[in-house]
Amino acid sequence: MERFIAGLVKDFESGKVGRREFCQTVALAAMVYGAGEAANAQATRGFEMIGINHISYSCPDYTKARNFYTSLLGMESTPGKDNGKRANLMFGPEPGKGGSFIVARTTPTDAKPSRAVVDHVCYTIANWDEQKVRGALKAKGLEVGGREGSLHVFDPFGYYVQIASAEAENAFRR
Amino acid sequence: MEGFVAHQLNAFEQGKISRRKLIKTLTAAATTAYATGGAGAAETEGLKAALVNHISYTCPNFRQAADWYSKVFNLDQIGARDKDVALPFGKRGDQPYGVTAKDVPLTHLIFRTRDLNPPPAAGEAPRPKVQAVIDHVAYTVADFDREKAKAELKSLGVENVRDGGLYSLHMTDPFGYDVQISGFANNALTDG
Repeated sequence: MERFIAGLVKDFESGKVGRREFCQTVALAAMVYGAGEAANAQATRGFEMIGINHISYSCPDYTKARNFYTSLLGMESTPGKDNGKRANLMFGPEPGKGGSFIVARTTPTDAKPSRAVVDHVCYTIANWDEQKVRGALKAKGLEVGGREGSLHVFDPFGYYVQIASAEAENAFRR
Repeated sequence: MEGFVAHQLNAFEQGKISRRKLIKTLTAAATTAYATGGAGAAETEGLKAALVNHISYTCPNFRQAADWYSKVFNLDQIGARDKDVALPFGKRGDQPYGVTAKDVPLTHLIFRTRDLNPPPAAGEAPRPKVQAVIDHVAYTVADFDREKAKAELKSLGVENVRDGGLYSLHMTDPFGYDVQISGFANNALTDG
């Protein structure tokens, strides 16, 4: 800004711009600058998202959910966190370093419903091998639906579980 | 493989699965085991969830929901269609936090407005009755400080902000859905 004003002053002094034009230009520059500051201030509000911390999953029998997600998707039941009513099922990066977990709970699901629902969760499988993935799902006796690179099954409580490759499910390839 | 067959057979004998289901399951297992190079391959290699790919959120007005999450979490909206839009947790080319594998995309939220009980597609069985619910989703945010976060949420007009355990905050989104935020201190080792 300072350099811009200095150039403008120089032009004014040399007669390249008149007083009126000088004043209008400075005023316009100030307005643009102010708008930019406001935009920057707006952009810094809110939070910076890192990732999913956990998903709270309530069902009639958490042990069935625990067994399903650990055996099918390789999640690990956190040692010491299974108290007979709930368990933490870890996956992804290490806990506290970007890792996520499902909290599987035995809880009545008749709470007052919100007007929104998380109707499914999709998990990424690295090194996707279609045949291997289908094989692993079928080996569990599951009915497998979906398309190449994106398959789905239903868990023991009828919840829709999607499993996908990076190519098939990617926000930037929609 | 033998253990798996025995397990299925027990289930059949106890009346937990039908004859048809038993045959179908064992046929699928047998042919799959062959295709993947042996029963051991299917049973021991298994799958491993690397990360949440996306969370599908359905509500009466997906634009309103997406705008709220964009505002609170500074998320861009991309790939908008008539009934849905995606909000990735970063920019194109960003690597998910803590992930080294190159074929794991950024997690994203998909906001939709749609019928949750559509008739089954041709050739597909009807959906089973859902007996589970994801009653809230918790997000990890950078530089989380509970008191500062509380003030920030209030300044953003977020409703029903309240403490959650030792390390987090809960709030309610525009459709009454419970949303939790925390830093890294809330994790599988500390929660519960």
